[in-house]
Amino acid sequence: MKFLRQFAAATAVVAAVVLAGLAWNRLAPTLPGEGPGGHAFIARGRAIKVLPPGAQPPPGGRPAPPGGRPPPPGMRGDNGSGIPGLLLSDLLKPVNLAVLRDTALLEAAVITAVVILDAGYRRLRRARRATTIRREPGISDSR
Amino acid sequence: MVPVMSRPAPISPAGYRSHTGRRARVAARTRLDFWLDAAILAGYTVAYSYGFTGVVIHEWLGIALGIALLLHLTLHWDWVVRTTRRLVSPRGHDKLIWLVNIALLVAMTLCVASGIAISRVALPELGIATLQSPFWFRLHVLTAEVTVGLVPIHVALRWRWIAGVGRRLLAWRPVRWPR
Repeated sequence: MKFLRQFAAATAVVAAVVLAGLAWNRLAPTLPGEGPGGHAFIARGRAIKVLPPGAQPPPGGRPAPPGGRPPPPGMRGDNGSGIPGLLLSDLLKPVNLAVLRDTALLEAAVITAVVILDAGYRRLRRARRATTIRREPGISDSR
Repeated sequence: MVPVMSRPAPISPAGYRSHTGRRARVAARTRLDFWLDAAILAGYTVAYSYGFTGVVIHEWLGIALGIALLLHLTLHWDWVVRTTRRLVSPRGHDKLIWLVNIALLVAMTLCVASGIAISRVALPELGIATLQSPFWFRLHVLTAEVTVGLVPIHVALRWRWIAGVGRRLLAWRPVRWPR
């Protein structure tokens, strides 16, 4: 019962965010920092994905049409209209592992940086607290 | 009524304490939290790597992540309520975690919602028409970029809990039978 109540509350929060997105689309359909950047961008209404050198386009991904903007080296168009089938061999293509490795490395780098910062901050705070206690022996750490 | 605790739980961030009578329940809940969170992290990493997965797996995995996000939020709803109530005077660390979590909730929800809106395979296969407007394409890309930055921060801010539980769960210990 408690789970259902919490699930309903969580669903309501998610629905509110989705509704805010719909309202955003309706009222002011512009986004901050639009344009090329990151791993993908929109060119003439089509999503262009950036692949690392040597990686193959994903299943279903096709080069841009002849009239469209030619993708720069290392990029592949992702505007195919065909619906590819779900094959496990599509997922496990070793040549495209570079994409997954890049994402994992990016996340690992951010995690490492935050953990180092957090550990340093905690150590600093502990040292500062210890100094305060040493200076004023009457004060004891009640926590 | 949602129970309100004055301090974070020592075992699980979801709010269960390690009372002796609840040991089995706490262990099960902590294990669920740990493995579900690990699955979400791995799932998001794979789903973000669009060039690796291809469109079909990307879309179905994204929908599954949306459901997992809802479950994750439900399981940690106690924390959300507790920290939001204490927002008037929370510790700096709690406030930072709360802000990161709110930003991640908004970014990931919009990412999944916009992904559903521009679905080319999953929803058409279910007979549902999609929006396919440039706004939703751009929103999907933008929120995915924001999310890929916030997910590791969200994970790293709980590194002590992850390290503690991970050490206990993954460590091999021989079973000792009572005499």
